[in-house]
Amino acid sequence: MRQLKVEETDRLLTEIAKSGEQLPAVERRQFLKNGLSMLGGAAALAAGGSAVAAGTAKYAPPNVPPWTKSLGAPVIADPYGVPSPFESDVVRRNVPWLTADRIASISFTPLADLKGIITPSGLVFERYHAGRPEIDPDEHHLMIHGMVDRPIILTMDDLMKFPSTSMIRFLECPANGGMEWRGAQMTKLQFTHGMLSCCEWTGVLLSTILEEVGVKKGANWILAEGADGSHMSRSIPMEKALDDALVVYAQNGEALRREQGYPIRLINPGWEGNTCIKWLRRLEIGDSPYYQREETSKYTDLMPDGKAREFTFVQEANSVVTSPSPEKPLKGKGKYWLEGLAWSGRGKVKAVDVSFDGGISWRKARLTGMVEPRALTRFGLEWDWDGSPALIQSRCIDETGYVQPTYTQLRAVRGSSSIYHKNAIHTWRLHADGSVTNVQVS
Amino acid sequence: MSRYLNMSSLKILSLAALLTVSMGSGVAMAKDTVKDKGVGHYGYGKSATAEEIAGWDIDIRPDGRGLPAGSGSVEDGEMLYEDKCASCHGSFGEGVGKYPVLAGGQDTLTEERPEKTVGSFWAHTSTLYDYIRRAMPFPQPESLSDEETYAITAYVLYLNDLVEDDFVLSQETWDEVAKLPNNPNFVPDPRPDTHAKRCMSDCKKEVKIVSEPTISAEEVAAADDTVVKAAAGNEEGAGVYNGACAACHNLGVAGAPRLGDTAAWKARIAQGEETLIKHALEGFQGDAGMMPAKGGRMDLSDEDVTAAVKFMLVESK
Ligand code: HEC
Ligand code: HEC
Repeated sequence: MRQLKVEETDRLLTEIAKSGEQLPAVERRQFLKNGLSMLGGAAALAAGGSAVAAGTAKYAPPNVPPWTKSLGAPVIADPYGVPSPFESDVVRRNVPWLTADRIASISFTPLADLKGIITPSGLVFERYHAGRPEIDPDEHHLMIHGMVDRPIILTMDDLMKFPSTSMIRFLECPANGGMEWRGAQMTKLQFTHGMLSCCEWTGVLLSTILEEVGVKKGANWILAEGADGSHMSRSIPMEKALDDALVVYAQNGEALRREQGYPIRLINPGWEGNTCIKWLRRLEIGDSPYYQREETSKYTDLMPDGKAREFTFVQEANSVVTSPSPEKPLKGKGKYWLEGLAWSGRGKVKAVDVSFDGGISWRKARLTGMVEPRALTRFGLEWDWDGSPALIQSRCIDETGYVQPTYTQLRAVRGSSSIYHKNAIHTWRLHADGSVTNVQVS
Repeated sequence: MSRYLNMSSLKILSLAALLTVSMGSGVAMAKDTVKDKGVGHYGYGKSATAEEIAGWDIDIRPDGRGLPAGSGSVEDGEMLYEDKCASCHGSFGEGVGKYPVLAGGQDTLTEERPEKTVGSFWAHTSTLYDYIRRAMPFPQPESLSDEETYAITAYVLYLNDLVEDDFVLSQETWDEVAKLPNNPNFVPDPRPDTHAKRCMSDCKKEVKIVSEPTISAEEVAAADDTVVKAAAGNEEGAGVYNGACAACHNLGVAGAPRLGDTAAWKARIAQGEETLIKHALEGFQGDAGMMPAKGGRMDLSDEDVTAAVKFMLVESK
């Protein structure tokens, strides 16, 4: 019998380190399987297409493949287009042994297979606390009340009439990588860093709505609340609301996805994903924070002295090499394009450095695309692999001059029980056979 | 459990200083809106009436603002808690399986494996009332009455040795328990708290691998086996089960036979698969309780539910 466990993610995350050892044999094997399918070759389950190995291709020139000598599918064969079946293993994944219940749960973005900085909407990581509600936009309302001159209720039609703003910003769960605080644990990039995505978000600046309702003197905080069964709720300081917080109705050019809060969500750029309330239904303006469960029991950072930091909103500078990675092993020595992602909740990424010797020496990488504040930023560098083992790292420096810390530096201040905001330099161990594994170094 | 904290010591807990938040540096960005358009410039939407607001304004604040009229006793809370909460959180708040632990863990915050509970970690009783009201019991959020919420909140305090068994929670007694023991231990965000330098060469003398996931080649091979078997089973059914049935059938909520509890399933299985599928599709009132049609998920197809039943039967034989 498979003993099913129920999701209580944050607590579980802290326990992953020990659970790996404590799992019953079957679950442990499944866990390993999930983390290691890439090492074991093609995933047994990912039936369907995978690229034909080089050298065995039937249709290499001078042969002509059948699709060149026949007609293809007509227009609107897929009224809403979907990726090629040959990309069928590029999907969100959860950690099945972690959660029997997928209602209060999390799934991870497949970072290794993504290019550029935009995460396709269907691959943005999911985090639910009471499942994903199915909301009729005609029945959705946003109430704004509390310390305001004009408490109002807006329909979706009302909301769409306000001036509209778009911005490309990352979205990251503060527990991203939280499993690694006590030691290297997860075996794939998807699970070490996959609570991370970046989209173009379009909506109405919260400041516009606040101006419309008239905020009273002394109002310093806003309670944002969702319409899902968990009524997810967080207190947002007025400064952020007036800076760049956005009430979002569109993502990557189309209506917000249900997973992301359809029909509306809040985006607090650069801040904890949890503050970006989905299925937003209510904004209450008040004088002080509301001390919701998600800002006391959760999303506070426990320090070694027993004190806990509260309202730790910003996601500090971070980075990871996406190729090579466990999902993207190397096939023999030669020239490679190493690439990865960097981001900072405080602004723009200024520079990224890469090390091949575990942090003894560093090379500057190139920022290869758009550099937007509080957005994923792609970096890369050309590299000639001589076939010897390496310890590959990346280090982000943001426009405030903040330098991404090592594990040693981070743990020296925060210990290893704080669950959230782990932004330490990550190490991939490249083995002589080209495979890549997760390690932590001194 | 020891009554390490009595009411008088609760009262002497210092007032938490209102936090000062250290903000992330603002990023200058083009604002499309012209400032100073003034209140009501657009005039969109309708003004919210007091009654409309009351229907949605469910939050409770640390000082008790938002608390409804009424009261609830530890005594009443015990029965309600047993009935509506204990199946997941345990009769003593110890947590069943991986469900959250609600009581205990005092003095563990500096230990290797801290246990964060209402009594050991939380700061405000308002958070407890507020959260139960908005999100619990997990399968039926917003189903409790104000009085029930008072009673259950009082009982969870009792499970944490914070009140006596004759305590009654209401607006009048709120101040006695408003601050929880760990309240003074929350501090503002001091980040950036690491001050790394951008060194480019000879940054350290040597590098050692200090940690890697513990895995072996055999385990990888064995893992392949297991998953192939699981896939040959019923992945889809498992998926539907997790999404629509697990909330009750994992732990026996509301009398549901638990997944994998062979004893509880034996007689049921004897009725034959067809009957069981019919009961799952159409709903079924038995001695143990009420199985809602399709588990209450009318959006599921008959095929989905059938697959879930098949999965449950394999797992429960
Ligand atoms: C079917 C299982 C289930 C039942 C029944 C249930 N809960 Fe929960 N409870 C959960 C889950 C799951 C979570 C975590 C949800 C999340 O993280 O989003 C939770 C979280 C909580 C928390 C927050 C714990 C923490 O450490 O942050 C409290 C308090 C709580 N429940 C109280 C109750 C009370 C009181 C009842 C009865 C009225 C109840 N629960 C009934 C499953 C349940
Ligand atoms: C709200 C709680 C709840 C949910 C959700 C739920 N069940 Fe049940 N289920 C019950 C209860 C209670 C019983 C026991 C009824 C009895 O025998 O008294 C039950 C019994 C059953 C039985 C046995 C019927 C029999 O004749 O003995 C099957 C099969 C079943 N459920 C399947 C499902 C499936 C499939 C789903 C998801 C699609 C599901 N249940 C979701 C509460 C639930």
